[in-house]
Amino acid sequence: MPAVSPVILALSISEFQRIPTSLLIASAIALAVVLILWAVCEVPLSYNVRNLTVRWKTTVMTALAFTLVLGLMTVMLAFVKGMQRLTENSGQPGNVIILSEGATDEGFSNLGFSDVGDLENQPGVTTVDGKRLCSRETYLVVNQPIEQATSGGPQRRFVQMRGVDDPEISGLVHGVTLLPNGRWFSSSGVQEVEGQSESAIEVVIGEGVARELSRGRSPEVLRTAKNPDRLEIGDTFNIANRNWLVVGVMKSSGSTFDSEVWGKRSVIGPKFGKSTYTSLVMRAADGPAALKLKDVFKKYEKASVNPLLETEYFESLSQINKQFEFGILFVTVFIAVGGVFGVMNTMFAAISQRTKDIGVLQLLGFGKLHIMISFLLESLVIALVGGLIGCALGSFADGLTATSVVGSGQGGGKTVVLKLTVDAVSLIYSILLALAMGFLGGFLPAFSAIRLKPLDALR
Amino acid sequence: MKFLGLIVKNIGRNLIRSILTALGTMMLVFVVTLVWSILSFLNVALSEKNANFKAIITERWQIPSQMPYTYAATLSEGAATKPDDVRPMDSMTWQFYGGSIEKDRAKRGMSNVLFAFSLEPKKLMTMMDDLDSLQPPISTEFAKSVKALEENRQGIILGRTRLETLKKKVGDTFTIYSMNYKDIDLEVTVVGDFPEGRYNNSAAINRDYLLAAMDAYQIKNGKPHAMANKSLNLVWLKVPDSATLSKITAQIESSPLFSNPQVKCETASSGIAAFIEPYRDLIWGMRWLLAPAILVTLSLVISNSISISVRERRSELAVLKVLGFRPNQILTLVLGEALLIGALSGLASAVLTYGIVNFPPPYGFGGIKFPIAFFAAFQIPLAALWWGPALGAATAFVGSFVPAWGARSVKVSEVFSRVG
Repeated sequence: MPAVSPVILALSISEFQRIPTSLLIASAIALAVVLILWAVCEVPLSYNVRNLTVRWKTTVMTALAFTLVLGLMTVMLAFVKGMQRLTENSGQPGNVIILSEGATDEGFSNLGFSDVGDLENQPGVTTVDGKRLCSRETYLVVNQPIEQATSGGPQRRFVQMRGVDDPEISGLVHGVTLLPNGRWFSSSGVQEVEGQSESAIEVVIGEGVARELSRGRSPEVLRTAKNPDRLEIGDTFNIANRNWLVVGVMKSSGSTFDSEVWGKRSVIGPKFGKSTYTSLVMRAADGPAALKLKDVFKKYEKASVNPLLETEYFESLSQINKQFEFGILFVTVFIAVGGVFGVMNTMFAAISQRTKDIGVLQLLGFGKLHIMISFLLESLVIALVGGLIGCALGSFADGLTATSVVGSGQGGGKTVVLKLTVDAVSLIYSILLALAMGFLGGFLPAFSAIRLKPLDALR
Repeated sequence: MKFLGLIVKNIGRNLIRSILTALGTMMLVFVVTLVWSILSFLNVALSEKNANFKAIITERWQIPSQMPYTYAATLSEGAATKPDDVRPMDSMTWQFYGGSIEKDRAKRGMSNVLFAFSLEPKKLMTMMDDLDSLQPPISTEFAKSVKALEENRQGIILGRTRLETLKKKVGDTFTIYSMNYKDIDLEVTVVGDFPEGRYNNSAAINRDYLLAAMDAYQIKNGKPHAMANKSLNLVWLKVPDSATLSKITAQIESSPLFSNPQVKCETASSGIAAFIEPYRDLIWGMRWLLAPAILVTLSLVISNSISISVRERRSELAVLKVLGFRPNQILTLVLGEALLIGALSGLASAVLTYGIVNFPPPYGFGGIKFPIAFFAAFQIPLAALWWGPALGAATAFVGSFVPAWGARSVKVSEVFSRVG
């Protein structure tokens, strides 16, 4: 029930808490305005509803325009929200990530072996079973030729690899766990495979990249594949002329790690000529402790490093998302303005067809303001009905997956598989936009209605 | 001609409705033009050319590509070592140098950073896309900048938007504090700017300057710079045809000179395709969801407007029939009104979009800044000038056909019986 789930979500307390106060206030004002208009309007709403049903073709077409605009907006916001949640979920509040000085992205960072050894011995790092929660990592983006590439399509894809020394510690630091039946790669990081002369490199992969890597497999491989839609434990893939064996699949955490391949650093690094670490991630007891730990590294003098709270780091990777958000907002505003002109047309026509009605209403004693509100409400009803249907249809996008890129907008970036997320905030924005369109589209025609004189209207 | 006059007169009869329909059309055509401009640019970038196309050589497995600069000379020759080996028509090497004009790291941001191609200046006019096909007087002007960069190795050519963002002008001298070549800060003088267009945010420096700075670093510190062995990012080759490219690719990929790291050679479009691949769902959404939905919305807006118009004019249409107008003439009359509004407002929208989007700030947006791959901004192509009227007319036709058919089928007896 993908369409229902966001509606239920919208009503859940946790989702309600995510709604910004300013949006709640705006929603309350909008609701209050509509209710007040309805309450003070002496012309019965049933009059407008009946008119809408009489001119049902025009009503349906106008409402359909709202449905399309709001449906589109809901889907587009779901994409942005999916990216936003992805970067939010990727950073652990207690983690501090150390990059080399000047680097803003793991892909461009280089930390020396000796530096890392000293860095991880600084005070303030949490321990579990006597082990310090420090994850030494080498992050790489590598090319994988696509086996069954289509003519004119991409011949290769980028795969994000993270070489770590101790996968269990790294899993704890990043809050990553494996799906049942999987295991972390062995201390050697490689495994003999029956029938193959060369050992395979053991890896654990995220659920997102498991789907991605399954695309473009040859028909022969697909015939024997455990799952045609994604790689499973025991499957292999080829990169850099080596076989890579999946020994575990990381449980989806809605983070960027879902789109990564993790392997033994001492195997992966040299394979791609990367002899240094790119980052060191350390877990402090909590958020405030992480801040203190960051300060320790700010004063660190033995090596030039760039310490960041992990949440800050992933926040910096949401720059591209912000640009998408701006683009979507820009497009939505123009589509909405186009839609407003359409509603104005409908409402002007409705009024010109009902000039006699307006005259009669005035003679019956209904005030000009009430007649104006009546037409305004009619416009709002079309907008609300069309908008709600649009939101409901757009909600079907909730849970769909899509690929995109998160990054700081200064080069680098990570390819990610994200889940489109329709949340209460997006739905409220969509409904508010529908009401705004209805109000703007209905106001001028409604105002023109009250300028009619009763006798002229009846003539 | 009289018929056209009648159409124009009818449009003018309900001016508010016509204006509102036209404005709605303009808004929606504007959005579709933006979306199609991005898609069209990507299509061009991804389409394989048949002749005189470019190939790129990069590190085989890793992103970002970083190769030793010692590869540059041989790769520029397509790894041709024997007399009968095939050589490219032209070549160009790229080193990426990024930095900020702000010394304080805490104050660095998009307003003070720049990313420059470090290359052989003369290649700007023979190998860089679009710059290799400039026409006078723009090419003459740009050639002066290129010559200045050749003569002054501390020169820099900047894109116009970047110049404005950095608050610099031609002739200014400043220091770039490097972000990727640690401790190699370059003092540069702006010797020219890129022509208006896709290089608005770009920068180019003379490769001799960067190489000399790295040599100086080695002399000063007694050891090579950390980037010394991986400063070559890309090598571009121009080849006459795909057969030549295949031979050169074989020469490069079989050469023992490029084993650590290994390199790969592919067409430029294939390389770009890999960078665009992560955006495939977004592009799919733009192509098959956003653009069609807007077009349907536009058709609905026009359809509504024409339906209302036909409904209001049933008596008049009946009179026309009585006067001898044939049903198809009435159909054409109604369709003509919609098509005229659609085509004219579509044209107006396209012209405004072209001007407003393509003009640099403060007069325009300086391109569509949408973060797909490494493209800084997308320009509205000249073709958009016919997309606009075509889109407006096509959606008007689709939207107005049913109401126009209704007008064609108006029965005189029914209309006058109601009037009576």
